[in-house]
Amino acid sequence: MKRFTNLLVKEIRELITYQLVISLAFTMGLFYFMGELAKKEAKRAEAEQKISVLDLDHSDLSKGLLDGLRLAKFQIEAVAQNDETAAIEAAKKSDTSLLLVVPQGFGESVSGLEPKKIDSYTFLRSFSLSGLRKSEIFKAIVAATNNYLSNENLKKKVPGIDPEVLKNPIKSRDFVIVNDRMAQGSASAIAGFVYSQSIFVPIILMMIIIYSSQMVISAIAMEKQNKTLETLLTVPIKRTSIVITKMLAAGLVGLLSAAIYMIGFKSYMGGMMGDIKASADLTNVIQKLGLVLSSNGYLLLGISLFFAILCALAMATILGVLAEDFRSAQSLIMPVIFLVLIPYFLSFFSDIRTLSLPVKLLVLAIPFSHPFLASQNIILENYSAVLYGILYMAFFFLVLVVMAARIFSTDRVLTMKLRWRKKKVVL
Amino acid sequence: MAAVLHVEGLKKSYGSLEALKGIDFEVQEGEIFALIGPNGAGKTTTLRVVSTLLTPSGGKVAFQGHDLKKEPEKFREGISYLPEEAGAYRNLKGRAYLRFMAKFYARSAAEFEEFMKRAEGLADLGSRLDEKVGTYSKGMVRKLLLARALMTRPALAILDEPTSGLDVINSLEVREIIKKFAKEGLSVLLSSHNMLEIEFLSDRVALIDKGRILDSGTSQELKDKYQAVNLEVVFRSALR
Repeated sequence: MKRFTNLLVKEIRELITYQLVISLAFTMGLFYFMGELAKKEAKRAEAEQKISVLDLDHSDLSKGLLDGLRLAKFQIEAVAQNDETAAIEAAKKSDTSLLLVVPQGFGESVSGLEPKKIDSYTFLRSFSLSGLRKSEIFKAIVAATNNYLSNENLKKKVPGIDPEVLKNPIKSRDFVIVNDRMAQGSASAIAGFVYSQSIFVPIILMMIIIYSSQMVISAIAMEKQNKTLETLLTVPIKRTSIVITKMLAAGLVGLLSAAIYMIGFKSYMGGMMGDIKASADLTNVIQKLGLVLSSNGYLLLGISLFFAILCALAMATILGVLAEDFRSAQSLIMPVIFLVLIPYFLSFFSDIRTLSLPVKLLVLAIPFSHPFLASQNIILENYSAVLYGILYMAFFFLVLVVMAARIFSTDRVLTMKLRWRKKKVVL
Repeated sequence: MAAVLHVEGLKKSYGSLEALKGIDFEVQEGEIFALIGPNGAGKTTTLRVVSTLLTPSGGKVAFQGHDLKKEPEKFREGISYLPEEAGAYRNLKGRAYLRFMAKFYARSAAEFEEFMKRAEGLADLGSRLDEKVGTYSKGMVRKLLLARALMTRPALAILDEPTSGLDVINSLEVREIIKKFAKEGLSVLLSSHNMLEIEFLSDRVALIDKGRILDSGTSQELKDKYQAVNLEVVFRSALR
């Protein structure tokens, strides 16, 4: 055990280099900085914003419309000019990003059911959120005003009947069923919220698996490149211990790196998306449907991820034996990265369960597909699929680790090489 | 003297290539035994087999009575191997590297301290031992590795081209260290291209070519047998 610990400590020390610490600190700092910028931008978009308005109508309706905009946190700046072209030119020179022109006779034309159009000019000075948000809010206010006016018109024309019934004679009630639980709510809103809350899961999975496998393949390749492997193989420690310490150290450092990376990424995404909170109704529906990960669910997901990491480490260990140096190791790790990316992208753009049987079998044969499927399966209480996935990965890992241990116990650890030129044997 | 290492009919093949075609030799206690031969003769393969890096295709190798195939771990406990192109962990400081290696062999804290004290003396790197190996010259790395190989006083030190890449002064120092080490009763199996080095260091020599031992004996015995002035002439005559 003393020798094992000695080797494990050395492996961790070899992996945690100044370069790694600096790169992780830089990544964290960069994500934090980007997240803060995004947060600032989002706050700016939500704060009271200035828009220019040229009201040529001055009717009750145009005043009501402008009051609606004020309620939506817009600071209305009346344009001094009395002409649309002059107003546009003036707005161009100012810092305003939205100019509304309410035409003369607007109120009267609406009352006469021959509405005139309000012109909106968006000055696209940047592609920031705040710049685009103004015109979207204006459209929403116009839509709400339209709804109100059409209801008023309908009330006058067809008294005694609810205008909403006239406009929407067919109504629906949406129910969502998950297993044996049912709740009233919109399926798209529920799916959207669950997706937004679990968007990090596949990213975390991908990062950890790729980080760890790169660590272990680099560790083995560096032993070869620095000519330290031969010495290490002659010291009194079991070859399986050498394999296990390398995998364990890479797993630990990979996990730590991925955690640090993800904290930074979450801070960035938090800034980008804001703190997405569901309405009380939606929260109730989600809880009623049981669409939340319980602590046991997290544990199961953790076990699934753990076995996926083990599989990646064992694969990378075997590939590391084929590498001659650090550079060739970076090329050799590509198959593992592709095997992680396939389920990663599928989890975003497709439902693995709905694929054709041969493709589905092919995807399920990739051990890394299982943790990607696990989070959804756990939420949907499809525990048997998660357990089968874990068992498959455990079997896959055992086969690979036996292979890795056998390779390290024989000449192959020194003689196995993947290279294009003819094999050279040192006699 | 008892044989520390016994090699009998040793064969090693890489696919269809027969690197060793049946080699026999013994290394006695306190003896420096050298393998000399041209490139591709099978010297490094022999040393790699004895140091448990390669598995033999045939024959028998025994260290202190333990069979290589059955008990490779017994070999690793008692031998120390210095490969020709060895390196040390570049991110570790010299002292940390020696500590790391000593911990594999030390059975007590006192023994660990003894190993470290010996290694520091052998490496003779002074304060540079507290700097990272990545900053060392080739000669410094070689001395560090030799200190690593000898600090545990292994029953058998296997040294492949021990002075490879060293300048004249460093080579002399290394040869003296090896000689002193053997005088203390420990055994050395080494290989070299340098016939003068072999003549200075070794008690007995085996001439090896194309995977076979052509002849063996003390330097003087071989010189007398082939009526040669030095081992270079002996080797040329043996090849004929």
